Amino acid sequence: MRLTPEQFWTYSEWLFQHNGLRDGMILALALSILGFLVGYLVSVVNHGPVEGFLKVSQVIGQLFSVDLPKFSFRRAGAIAGLAFKESIRKKILVLIGIFIIAMMFAGWYLDQSADYPARLYISFVLTATNYLVIVLGFFVSCFSIPMDIKSRTIYTIVTKPVRPLELFLGRVLGFTAIGTLVLLLMGLLSYVFVVRGLSHTHEVETIDAAGRVGQTNVENKHSHNFTLNDEGRGTTNEAKGHRHIVRKEGDKIVVGPPVDDLTARVPIYAKKLDFTGRDGEKNEGYNVGYMSEYQKYIEGDSLSMAVWEFDGVNSKLFNDVISYDLTISAFRTYKGDIVTPVGGIIYFRSSDEKVETERESFKVKEFQVDRRSIRTKLKGFKDGQPADLDFFKDIAPDGKFQVVIRCQDRGQYLGMAAADLYLRPADLQFWWNFVKGYISIWLQMFIVICFGVMFSTFLSGPVAMIATVAAIVLGFFGFFVDQLQASTTKGGGPIESLIRVPSQLGSQIEMDLGSRTLEEAIRVIDTWILTGVAQLKSAVPNFDQLGTADFVAYGVNLFGGLLGRHLTIAFGYFILTSLVSYFFLKTREMAA
Amino acid sequence: MATALDSAPTGTTSANDPTNIIVETRNLGKIYRDFWGRKKVHALKSLDLEVRRGEIFGLLGPNGSGKSTTIKLMLGLLFPTSGRVFVFGKDATDVSKNERIGYLPEESYLYKFLNADETLDFYGRLFDMSAEERRERSAKLIKMVKLEHARRRQLKEYSKGMTRRIGLAQALINEPEFLVLDEPTTGLDPLGTRDMKDLILRLRDEGKTILLCSHQLADVQDVCDRVAILHQGELKELGRVDSLLKMQDVTQIHASGLSEEAKGRIKKIIEESGGELQRMDNPTTTMEDLFLDIVKESEQRPGRRGGRGEN
Ligand SMILES: Nc1ncnc2c1ncn2[C@@H]1O[C@H](COP(=O)(O)OP(=O)(O)O)[C@@H](O)[C@H]1O
Ligand SMILES: [Mg+2]
Repeated sequence: MRLTPEQFWTYSEWLFQHNGLRDGMILALALSILGFLVGYLVSVVNHGPVEGFLKVSQVIGQLFSVDLPKFSFRRAGAIAGLAFKESIRKKILVLIGIFIIAMMFAGWYLDQSADYPARLYISFVLTATNYLVIVLGFFVSCFSIPMDIKSRTIYTIVTKPVRPLELFLGRVLGFTAIGTLVLLLMGLLSYVFVVRGLSHTHEVETIDAAGRVGQTNVENKHSHNFTLNDEGRGTTNEAKGHRHIVRKEGDKIVVGPPVDDLTARVPIYAKKLDFTGRDGEKNEGYNVGYMSEYQKYIEGDSLSMAVWEFDGVNSKLFNDVISYDLTISAFRTYKGDIVTPVGGIIYFRSSDEKVETERESFKVKEFQVDRRSIRTKLKGFKDGQPADLDFFKDIAPDGKFQVVIRCQDRGQYLGMAAADLYLRPADLQFWWNFVKGYISIWLQMFIVICFGVMFSTFLSGPVAMIATVAAIVLGFFGFFVDQLQASTTKGGGPIESLIRVPSQLGSQIEMDLGSRTLEEAIRVIDTWILTGVAQLKSAVPNFDQLGTADFVAYGVNLFGGLLGRHLTIAFGYFILTSLVSYFFLKTREMAA
Repeated sequence: MATALDSAPTGTTSANDPTNIIVETRNLGKIYRDFWGRKKVHALKSLDLEVRRGEIFGLLGPNGSGKSTTIKLMLGLLFPTSGRVFVFGKDATDVSKNERIGYLPEESYLYKFLNADETLDFYGRLFDMSAEERRERSAKLIKMVKLEHARRRQLKEYSKGMTRRIGLAQALINEPEFLVLDEPTTGLDPLGTRDMKDLILRLRDEGKTILLCSHQLADVQDVCDRVAILHQGELKELGRVDSLLKMQDVTQIHASGLSEEAKGRIKKIIEESGGELQRMDNPTTTMEDLFLDIVKESEQRPGRRGGRGEN
């Protein structure tokens, strides 16, 4: 699992610095204009240009003048309750049965000999739940209103003082409630499945004469080595992503349950990573060709270095030790001694660079997480003089500090990205992370339901389903607009192309319309159109981005910020779909 | 094609206070179109009528004459192709008018997986009624439509008559001022029909205004104050029932003048007014006669029949 920088933006960073809010507003504006135009065109066909305009304005006006002010939660609740009851009485919970059977089968086939069985188990349950719940979401939602129209029960609803938004919200809430119930049950089952599936212990197979160093038997296709200390306690080595606590009880040596495989690390990431080149000047880091765009490199035995800047690190999160994880890679320009890993040095320093710790050398552990730590009371240098330091007093008094890495070996390179070094305070509870993974699934389900109900307000059941599936599939695989936008950089935007193509202007030749202002105007309008289109693509939810199963499976705490972002996005889609639904419910002839 | 009449409804046809006009249609027309916007059925042509406070207004006509279409236009379930409908002086698409309306559709389109209690509770909530109010109302209504014994059974187990009755209860949950009943007696046995009619009369006496439609004139002739007769989407007759009844008598005697049967029928009518119901055997015959008349006449002279109704 590779974290991208945008995954650890905090909520406010996303909203304000990275334009989450701005993009959302532009999207809302673009969709409103588009919606108005489409609505107006349809209305013109039915009522003529003037009357049509009045009708559309009336619909919009009534949203604010009556339909929102008179919104009643009791009515929406009644409709929600009905949707809930209907699903229950139509035995939707059969789905749970299918889920249990699927898990029983999976239990036999999940591979215990994989390197990280925990990841496999967790990924499996989360992915299975995710798909099942999404399928459930759109089956219940796409058919709801079409069924009501077909069975004409809608006649007895819309002849009551029910407002369009109550109808939409009621449906969405009812189906979400059903989904929540199903999700809760599935979550509970999954949790038990994961914990029980991974739970095992070992017998001691061999032990040395002193009773200190030994080996366990093979259980779940692996075994461990262990070493006991003077008090007869110890832990095994790590295998299959977990360890066991081992202790002596009388004459017997007891191996405990697995630890560390179900966890939730809370990585603290640096605010930024800066590079310095071999000449001591700042640069972007070196590229080493095909290897990776993700990581940038520093050169060995030169002034080149990488500096992570941390901010806001709270001393309360750490006791005597600051643990950190390092995942960096090496690039060799010559083979040399292939067995000895490339070496680097690492040290911490204050943000004014006046206080620093002693330099520590390390060997790169490629493709592995190097779990390292420093003590908070440590030796180092103050203004160049050796001194005893207290990390949070001397180096990071205001929570700011830097971590520096250099490469020691001449001609070799070390590669790293911002997310490759993070501090690791005490882990959080796994179950809470698991719950957050389910919240993530819940949000996806909610979005699917919103879209399903929206489509069902103006399409028939099967068509609504196809439309929803299309939206989800587009969402999962990204949208082609990116490419469209990339391909239009040559030869101008849509309007410019319209001029170029018939007049057979090549893309290399400057457009010449004899009027600078006109050319400029065309370019500006083109930019607007393209920005608009690029924004519209996010009208379809990106489910790939909303998926968080990896966090849970890889034992990384799902940050509140990320969840908050997803929550905001889901809310945005909720607003979008409710407005579209409002418009259609308001203008649709229910008995036609 | 929309004839936008922008002035507020006034009820100029009646000298009365305009607030006494519950429904007013003006030049109301409806064309059903298919998916491509092509004309399919011209279901209603230029209808002008009004329903006055406190009366039972009957919309009569054979199957497919546009009765349900008219009702759906009044309720905002359909939008007019031409003309306008006002209910309580507001446009028919205005949702807030529904606070004061009760509607029994042609079939009781209710949720079959709910039981009677749940059904009434659900519709009560749609009127934003408090839990206590809902409990009180539904207990009263269930008693009124005589469904106490079946209140916990799902509607899918209900017979036609029971479904009709719970449908009516549903329409009354908000104590509406204006009740719209689409074919309230269709599918009911004579006893059920009589019950339904008694109930309708009782509701009128409580001060409600009732619009009902039916294709069985005999079913409604003894409850309606005024009726409109539709045929192929056109208004043929509009007037007080007594005048139409007279016409109906004439038609009957004319049709079967010679035999013993005529006497039998007259006897029957007498019996009916005495409250003896079980022997209302053949009501549609009357209807058929009347409509055969109307159809014949409308082929010769299209449009409204002249002069008989007193409006
Ligand atoms: N939704 C619809 N689409 C197309 N035609 C319809 C629709 N509803 C009714 N019609 C047609 O309109 C005419 C009037 O129907 P309706 O008002 O239901 O008659 P009634 O209630 O008097 O029996 C009929 O010819 C019927 O087939
Ligand atoms: Mg009908």
